[in-house]
Parts: sequence; structure tokens; C-alpha cells
Amino acid sequence: MSEKSISECVVFHDEIVTMEVDFTDLTLSDSSTVDAFYDEIDRRLAASGRRWYFLVNYKGCVITPEAWPRFAERGKNTNIIHGLGTVRVGASSSTRDAIRSHSERAMFRSNIYDSRDQAMLALGELRKRHREAEGAAEGSFLRVENVGLHFGGVKAISGVSFEIRRGEISSIIGPNGAGKSSMLNVINGVYHPQEGTVTFLGKQRRRMHPHEAAAQGIARTFQNIALFKGMSVLDNLMTGRNLKMKCNFLQQALYWGPAQREELEHRAKIEEVIDYLEIEHIRKTPVGRLPYGLQKRVELGRALAAEPTLLLLDEPMAGMNVEEKQDMSRFILDVNDQFGTTILLIEHDMGVVMDISDFVVVLDHGQKIAEGTPDEVRSDPVVIRAYLGTAH
Amino acid sequence: MNFFFEVLIGGLLSGVMYALVALGFVLIYKASGVFNFAQGAMVFFAALTFVSIMELGVPFWPAFALALASMVVLAVVTERVVLRPLVNQPQITLFMATIGLGFLIEGLAQGMWGAAVHGLEIGIVDEPIAWTMDNWGIGVSTFDLFAAGVSAVLVTVLAVFFNKTRVGRALRAVADDHQAALAIGIPLQSIWRIVWAVAGFVALVAGVMWGARNGVQFALTFVALKALPVLIIGGFESVAGAIVGGLIIGASEKIGEVYVGPLVGGGIEGWFAYMVALLFLLVRPEGLFGEKHIDRV
Amino acid sequence: MLYREAGQFKASYKADQQIFPIRQDRIAIGLILAFFYLVVPFIADQYWLQAIIIPVLIFSLAAIGLNILTGYAGQLSLGSAAFMAVGAFGAYNFMLRVPGMPILAAFVLGGLCAAAVGILFGLPSLRIKGFYLAVATLAAQFFIVWALTKFGWFSNNSSSGVITAQKVEILGYTFASPRSKYLITLVVVTLLALAAKNMARSTVGRAWMAVRDMDVAAEVIGIRLMRTKLMAFAMSSFYCGVAGALYAYTYLGTVEPEGFNLDLSFRILFMIIIGGVGTVLGSFLGAAFIVLLPIGLDNLLPVLFGNVLPTGITSNLQLIVFGGLIIFFLIVEPHGLARLWQIGKEKLRLWPFPH
Repeated sequence: MSEKSISECVVFHDEIVTMEVDFTDLTLSDSSTVDAFYDEIDRRLAASGRRWYFLVNYKGCVITPEAWPRFAERGKNTNIIHGLGTVRVGASSSTRDAIRSHSERAMFRSNIYDSRDQAMLALGELRKRHREAEGAAEGSFLRVENVGLHFGGVKAISGVSFEIRRGEISSIIGPNGAGKSSMLNVINGVYHPQEGTVTFLGKQRRRMHPHEAAAQGIARTFQNIALFKGMSVLDNLMTGRNLKMKCNFLQQALYWGPAQREELEHRAKIEEVIDYLEIEHIRKTPVGRLPYGLQKRVELGRALAAEPTLLLLDEPMAGMNVEEKQDMSRFILDVNDQFGTTILLIEHDMGVVMDISDFVVVLDHGQKIAEGTPDEVRSDPVVIRAYLGTAH
Repeated sequence: MNFFFEVLIGGLLSGVMYALVALGFVLIYKASGVFNFAQGAMVFFAALTFVSIMELGVPFWPAFALALASMVVLAVVTERVVLRPLVNQPQITLFMATIGLGFLIEGLAQGMWGAAVHGLEIGIVDEPIAWTMDNWGIGVSTFDLFAAGVSAVLVTVLAVFFNKTRVGRALRAVADDHQAALAIGIPLQSIWRIVWAVAGFVALVAGVMWGARNGVQFALTFVALKALPVLIIGGFESVAGAIVGGLIIGASEKIGEVYVGPLVGGGIEGWFAYMVALLFLLVRPEGLFGEKHIDRV
Repeated sequence: MLYREAGQFKASYKADQQIFPIRQDRIAIGLILAFFYLVVPFIADQYWLQAIIIPVLIFSLAAIGLNILTGYAGQLSLGSAAFMAVGAFGAYNFMLRVPGMPILAAFVLGGLCAAAVGILFGLPSLRIKGFYLAVATLAAQFFIVWALTKFGWFSNNSSSGVITAQKVEILGYTFASPRSKYLITLVVVTLLALAAKNMARSTVGRAWMAVRDMDVAAEVIGIRLMRTKLMAFAMSSFYCGVAGALYAYTYLGTVEPEGFNLDLSFRILFMIIIGGVGTVLGSFLGAAFIVLLPIGLDNLLPVLFGNVLPTGITSNLQLIVFGGLIIFFLIVEPHGLARLWQIGKEKLRLWPFPH
């Protein structure tokens, strides 16, 4: 591939910060052509001094099996260094399969569209989400102030304050009975704290119902999976979109016109989530019949279906083996990356928490004993004492 | 004012009779989580068996023993045929099964002993006690007082049974946690047999008392319906709740009958207790002795 | 080899979201509807229509109503018959007091009356669950029947609350023959069953099931418990109410409040248990079973024992067999007839290759 053809197939759309790559009818047959191509692309991107969205057109493009590993490797690096997000068009079914099998992150598997228009639309959505995430970053996102919660005489939380920043992955850690789950329950309104306030997106409240929290964009998963056991995976995910469905019961009873249209629109959205979480094969299975790991994934899917601003995860990796934990970490990072969703999670596995979190709050006996970046927390003597003391 | 107290005392005493029936529900629910809708049919079955045996010329206590034996047999058969195959099914399935069981027991009772109404004489007259009438001007029925005494004895016996005997403690263990009970080697099946037999005993006592008052007839099965509001107030799992709930329902029903009934044209006894129970719930949704429940999520 | 999903690929979500996604099911439903609309009116005699088919249809509707509440929304109710009564007396009073009231509108208004009463008696469900709620619904059962008997206004001051349904007349045509009454019942039941099936697969149905399966989680994803539960009570009572109106107008003609007693509520409950909780199909199967069972026993017992049994014994035997069958059914197939049907279909799907 000559340099000339590369400059022909790359177009920079400055106004939408997008680099369009046209692979149409190209053949990438070995590692060296791939390298030549990417060296040039990377040089140009580096020269621009900023990050870009990528729109890649694979129409009629042939990438031989020998070239694939190199192609995937270089593509990933370019994305990490210079990319803001990628959408793809015109991939043949074999290219699709190759992309899927070489993408480690789900977000890159699911971003394949049938037409350029659809891809552009998706890109627009992506940019909008990122803009929103940046725009609101100045004001406080979630602030917990001096929260105290007790059941009868038992104190679950006392005087806990912390702040979660938009777009980050934050974690609450602590030994058993530290009040972690109670904290989540306070944030999304399941429990009402006796003292203190929770401020989310500028709205301060002490008593609110969980469904109000949901309406504000808070979704969550539960420690002991709380799926709707009698319903299929599809229906479980669809309940996640209940808040966004506007038709009334009469229209639904007729299942005609608007109701059907709405149902189908949301079904399409759900299919994206299904694709994303790689649960296509169990769509119609009643969730009660699924193994534990998959149930956890479906529950995450139900929360994602609501397109939340803040996602609360209560021990998303409890009871999973190493491999499943890796999968789940990947999904969590992807969600944060691709949708700009802020995530607050509780997890026992310290290793995982430290790997994926931007910010960590440590609770013990219902009180905050430390907070900070994973490194700060790790080296905090108080934290070490709390953990060693309870043999964790 | 005397009249009010007379009504109140009459109500409290008849509340004891409701409590008697409610106890049967509570026992079974506590030990097996089954809402036994056949309790009314069991009361009917027990009373009809007892009175029919007496009418054959058998004296009171042997007849009582024979009727009790029949209730034990019924409990054993029920456990084997109905409960054991349905173990681990959802509560609602078991509840439905007990409705079916109720039909079966009703059919069985009438099939064996006929559908005629029997009078039952246990030697206690339903007349006001002269002493209270003379001294306080309040009429208190001898029979009601006797029924209250019987119930008090019964509750004491049950309390002793549950707290002091090995079987009783095992029953409570089952109520708290089936798995734990199994783990420490308490056979669930024999526990169920025993608790149904005890409920049968309670049904027999209730049947005899109610039968003596209203005659032994099919309508006895509806007595169970009267006891249900007691359960709303007192809770499905509390013996003490059944007693106190029974007193509340009995008293408010009598007062309602006397003071509210005439305003709406009477006949309110079918639903008044339920309304009282519902109003009660508005004030105390967790019931009389229930603890405020916290959902753990 | 006849019943196969294989090869029926869904090219769109629309096709996949159809009410009956499998082609053979669509054909079967079409055939069944054709049979009941085009064949039954001509082959069934008066006895079959009046004593069996019309009541089965009406009870199916009531069972769908209870299924909405108990099967889908998970709120156990023991008062369905009372809501039927409200529907029947509601329709009667609209016909009686509003000149020129169209009969179908009266059915709907009767259903709406029942829905309003249903919301009222559904209020306790916001605070209590399970058997506590079931017992609370008994309050509706006893109170409504009492009120309809006690206050003469409801029955136009007839003795013990008996009402006689007015003529069923649409656009000048009087539905007097069993055949015409059957057809009007069939139309109402078909439409409402379809609507129920549609609701079950839409947002409202999913919200009901979510509340049934795990109410805390449902609230956390934004489902309002109060609205959802009361909606289930209202919708369930509406169905029962319309069923009650049909019960008075196309089945019995003359009804009294006492006819809508606890026994009837139980029978409707049995229908959904035996038919299958949470399925529309099960409501029909259960209703057919419960209506046919006593008739079958009536015909069977004399054959088995001759005519020597006194009537008292027969009725007790009926009680025993009925109770026994219910227990038997619960043990053998706790998910009901609809589940058996499902299993049958799965077997058929594999036939003739068992693996």
C-alpha cells in the first residue's frame, strides 16, 4: 500500500472531531502492509495533537488471516493512544466475526453498523454523551454528607461523607458489616437515613423513593441477584427501559401503532445491550434457569438498559471465578469508557477494586476511615490495620 | 354504662372463641409455613365425629379420646398424602392444596356421619351469672366464662409444650429455619405430623366449644373465616397475637353489632371484623407483635 | 415433524415480538377461533351452549381477571366473585337508570365500577403482602355481597337483592336465543383475552411480573409499586366485572348477590391454579375443567354406582372427588394444565426423534 493511497483513504472531519478511514476494496495481506498503514496513521494523529473519533468503512475490504493479529494489535494501540471512540460500517460477515474475535473489549465488538448514516448517528450519540459528561463535570455529581443510618438500636452508618466525581469508577470497600450495602441503599433511596443528606445532580434530599432515584438516572445491581425469576432474559432487560416507555395501558392492550412501535424501538436498544454483554444465546431463557455468572451479567444488563447516569454495583464479582471476574471487570471498564457512565461499586476482591477504580472510599464499622486513589488507600496505615485486624 | 361493659365483656369472651380457632392456623403456619385453609373443615370434622360418637352412647371423655385419635389419623394421612409430595412447593400451592383438603374433609365428615344438625350438651348453661348480675348489674354468660377458661388452659398447655418439651423446642426450631432444623437431625415429616395433630387437637376443642354453643353443623366451617381477621391483627406466627387479636376482634365486633349495626340495618357480622382488621393495619402495618420488617437487598 | 420452529427465522424484531411467534401456533389459534365462531353455533345444541360453553367462556374471562392480579402481579385475592357482582349490578343499574344505554357500554361501565371498587380494596396491598392480603380481600368478598343485598337501591328494591337482566339488544336486534347470546359472549371474551395477552407482553405486564418476582428490585429500576399494584387490582376487577355482567346478561338472566359468594371466588381461584398461574391459555383450560368436572361427575357417578346412591352421598362424594382432584393436580403438575400443554408441545417439537 503506497503512501498516496493512505492519504486518499483517510479524511479528517474537523468539525465533528472524526477521522474517517475508508478501507474500501483494500487488501491487507501481511504484517508489513498493516504496519506501514498504521505507522502513517499514527504519525498523522500524533501530529494533530488531539484525540479523534474513528469512523471506519470496511466495504469490500479483505484482511487475510495472517494479517489479522497484527491489524487488531495496532488498531487497539491507536485507539488507546489517539481514539475517543470507534464506529464501523460495511463489514462483511467474515470481517465482523474477525473483529469480534479479536476485540478484547465488548465496546468494539458492538460498534458495527450496517450503513454510514447509522454509524454517523451512533457517533453523534457518543459525542453527545461525552460532551454531557464533560459539561456537568464542574458541578458536584454525587455528594454524601454526614449520613447516619440506624435500624432500631443498631447503627449501620454514622457520619459518613464523601463525593463521587462524574465519569469515574469509584469503589466502597471495607470488611463485612462495614455498612457498604447500606450506603448504596441510602444513595438510591431504599433506606432513608436518619441524619445527613445525599445530593445528586444538584438535588438534595433526605427521603426519596427508589423509583425517584431511578427517574433521576440511578440504576443498580444487587449483592444477591435480584432478577425477576419468572421472566425471560429479554423481559428482564425490557423492564430496565420501563421508565422510558410512554404508551399507556390502553394502547398496550391494543398493541397497535404507537405501542408496537415503541416496543420495537426499545427492543432494538435492548438487543444492543444483549450484543454488548454477549448473551444472545439466552435471550428467551427464563432467568431462573441460568447459571450464577450469567445471571449476574443479565442483572448488569438490566441496569444498563436504563442508560443510567450513575450505576451502583453491589459486589458485581461475588462468587465468580478468576475468568468471570476478568470478564466482569472488562464490562465495567467498557461501560464507563463507552457511555461515560459514572460507576460506584462495592467489592470484596481488593485486587479487582484497585485495578479498575479511580477513587476508593474505605468504610469500617459504619464509619469512613479513608478515601483517595487506590495507591493512597493501599498505603494508608489505618486501612491496613482495619484489614489485617479482621483478617481479610 | 353497665350495658356497654356487658357488651364489651361479652365481646371479649367470644373473642376467646375466635382465638381458639385462630390458634389452629398459627400452629401450622408457624411450623410449616402453610396457611391451612382446611382448619375450618377440621373443626367441623372434629366436632361432628365427637358428637356422633357420643350419640352412639359413648361417654364424654372416651368419645373425646376417640375423636382426638381420628384427628391424629387425619394429620398423619394429610402429611403423607398432601404435604410430603408438595414439600418445597411455593406457599400458594400449599395453600390451594389445603382448600382442596378442606373440601375433602367436609365431604368425608358428612359422608361418614350425615349432614344433620346435632345439638351438643356439655353441661354448661348459656345463662348470665347471677353474682355479677346482682353485684355489678352486668350480665356475663357462664358458658362464655367457661370457654375463656378452657382457652386459657389450652394456651397454657401449648405454651408449656412449646417451651418445655423436646418436641416443642424442635417445632420452634423448624419454624425458625427449616434447613437448620434438618441439619441438626430433626425429621421434618414427623414434625409436620405432630403439629398437624396438635392443630387437630385445637380444632377438636374449638369444635366442641362452638358446637356446644351453636350446634354441630356445616356452618362450623365458617367459624374459620371469623378467625382470619384475628390473624391479620395478631400475625400468622404469634400465639400471643392470636389471643390478643381474638380479644380485639371479639370486642369490636360485639360493640359494632350493638352500636353500628342498627345504623346500617344489621347483618354486619360477616364483614365488620375484616374492616376492623384493615383499619388496624393502617395504624400498625406490621401487626400487633410483628417486628418492623427490613428488606435486605 | 409437523410442529417445528426450525426454519422459521425471524428477520425483524417485529416478527419476533408477534403475539404467537410460532407459525403452527398461529394456524392452531386461527383454526380454534374459526371453529368457535363458524362451527360451534351450528352444531352445539341449546344445552351445550347454555350449560357448558357460555359459562366456560364467562369463567375464562373472570379467571383471566384473577390471573392478572394473582398470576401476573402476584397479589393473592379471594374476592373475585364480589367484583363479578359489582360488574353485574353496575351494568344492571346503568341499563335501568340511563335511558337508551347501549348494552355493550353498560358492560364496560359495569366493569369500570368493579375497577373502581377494586382499587379501593386494593389499597391494603400497599402495606401488606401474601396471605395477609388474601385475608384482607375477603373483606371485599363479604362486604360487597352484604352491601348489594342490604341496600335496595342496587337491585331496584327487589327482595333479597335479586335482579333480572334486561333484554340484550344491539341496533334493534335482540339477543334472545342461546346461539346469539353465545356469539356476543364469545366476541367480548375474545377481544378481552387478546387485550390481556397484549398487556402481558407490554410494559404494564412486565411491571406486574417484576413486582410479583421481586418488588424491591422493581422499585429500584423505576417501577412505582403503588401505581402498578393498583393498576393490577383495577384491571383484574374490570375483567371480573365484565365477566359478572355477562354472567347476569348472557348466562343466568337472574342473579342475586348471594350467588357471588366465597365459593364462586374459590372456584375462580381453582381455575387459575389448575389451568396455570400467569397464562391466558390456562385461564380457558382451567375454566373448562372446573365447569365440566361437576357435570362429568354427575354423569359418571350413576354409571359407576347405579342410581342407588342417595343425593346426600352424591354431593359429598362430589366434594371429596373435587377436593381430591385439586390436591392430585397440585402434586402432579403444580404449574397447571397450560404447563402440560407446553410440555406436550416440546415433546411434539422433538417428535419423532426423542433426542
